[in-house]
Amino acid sequence: MTLAGAALVALAVLLVVALVFGGLIVGGRAVRRAREARRAKLATPARRLLLAIAAGDDDPEQVEALVRLSDEVWQAVEPNAIALLGKVRGEAHTTLVDVFERRGAAWRARSRLRRRDPVARAQAAEVLGNLGRKDALLPLCDLLGDPDPDVRVVAARSLGRIGDAGATQPLLATLASRRMVPQQVVATALTRLGTAAQGALLASLDDPRAPIRATAAEVLGLIGAVGATVRVESALRADPSLDVRISAARTLGRLGTRTALAPLLDSLEPDRPVALRAEAAKALGELGAVTAASALTVLLSDIEYVVAHNAARSLLRLGGAGRAALTAAEHRAETEPDDERVLLGAAHAREALAAAELDDHRRQLVP
Amino acid sequence: MTAILVADDDMDIRDLVAFKLEQAGYDVVAVDNGLAALTEATQNPPDLVVLDVMMPGMSGIDVCRQLRQDAGTKALPIILLTARAQEGDVEVGFGAGADDYIVKPFSPRELVSRVEAVLARMRT
Repeated sequence: MTLAGAALVALAVLLVVALVFGGLIVGGRAVRRAREARRAKLATPARRLLLAIAAGDDDPEQVEALVRLSDEVWQAVEPNAIALLGKVRGEAHTTLVDVFERRGAAWRARSRLRRRDPVARAQAAEVLGNLGRKDALLPLCDLLGDPDPDVRVVAARSLGRIGDAGATQPLLATLASRRMVPQQVVATALTRLGTAAQGALLASLDDPRAPIRATAAEVLGLIGAVGATVRVESALRADPSLDVRISAARTLGRLGTRTALAPLLDSLEPDRPVALRAEAAKALGELGAVTAASALTVLLSDIEYVVAHNAARSLLRLGGAGRAALTAAEHRAETEPDDERVLLGAAHAREALAAAELDDHRRQLVP
Repeated sequence: MTAILVADDDMDIRDLVAFKLEQAGYDVVAVDNGLAALTEATQNPPDLVVLDVMMPGMSGIDVCRQLRQDAGTKALPIILLTARAQEGDVEVGFGAGADDYIVKPFSPRELVSRVEAVLARMRT
């Protein structure tokens, strides 16, 4: 065969391969579209029923009609049902849970937790979480080590929704695992467990792994665990990890107890890390202790922008005394115009006061 | 009939809110994004707006701010419906001019009560 002939054959083969692939893609899309259209057609009448129940109608006939839907129709409407289950609460949620339970959804979801398809595992975890099945605690905790990161996230969220404090340690442990769950997801799930998780969170402040201690300290603030103040104060003073100390400072601001004032003031010292000083300055504003005004005023001329900036904003949060301190710092620039530190403090004070003024104007404009 | 504009990019929530409000006797117009909500509210001002906060493109907060700046819509009652439940988020919502703030998961019955309360407040 000549070179030109071989090239022609190669071109023809390529053309056939391209046509086959093109046909497969177009055909696949058409099949998917047809399947979706069939699903939508099947789901339409059932969806109306589902909306009525999700809207809070507890008409037994409607509930019964939804329970008795054929499996094919239920499968078509199930994605909408799962979505609504996670977005409503109150009687609407209770009735939907009843429908799911009577259709055997919990049993089916548990059996799907081990499917090869990660989407099926994630959907199963979501259903169990939305149903609030406490008996799903252990399998969901196992799923926190799933090879698929999205499945792990769904499992963590579902554990938060179930709200059993037994999930505290497994959730925290994922933070130090090779197969980790993002810290924000874990913190949100732990927050949903509420004060029942306080004991396990306090114990986790002694964990050798810093990410676990930092998250435990953070969540103690988010759940308002005032009883943990002393232990969080000691974490702020002595924990070897900067991240833990920063979380502890933030938590002390959130908890708002007066005893937090001393360790937070101590964290402002110039030899402390900048990130810690900045967080402590911010926490003092949250704490709202007027006695912190003088320490915050000193920080206005701090060379580190974030420290001085946070101190200025915290002074604003202290109310009248804080605003007076900012105004005095601003006026000092007129009497000591050659002192760079004074000018720096005045600039930060001016910035905070201007931001407050902007806020006031905006409030006037919004009815 | 009292007209309510509902904006949510989540079809299930949008349909649920519209269904519940229609059931309660309101005339509902539903849209799936912030820009459409702003256009609808300025062209055909409703009696109340229910806005999802997180929508692609223009958020509910942005829509709320824009409505408050327009002379024709600045007094329009606005309820924000959102999954964002942190203290700061609620502050931002009210700061943008919302009259009420409902967190998902929400009770559809409570939503109707809140709508009625906001409308009653506006009438007095």
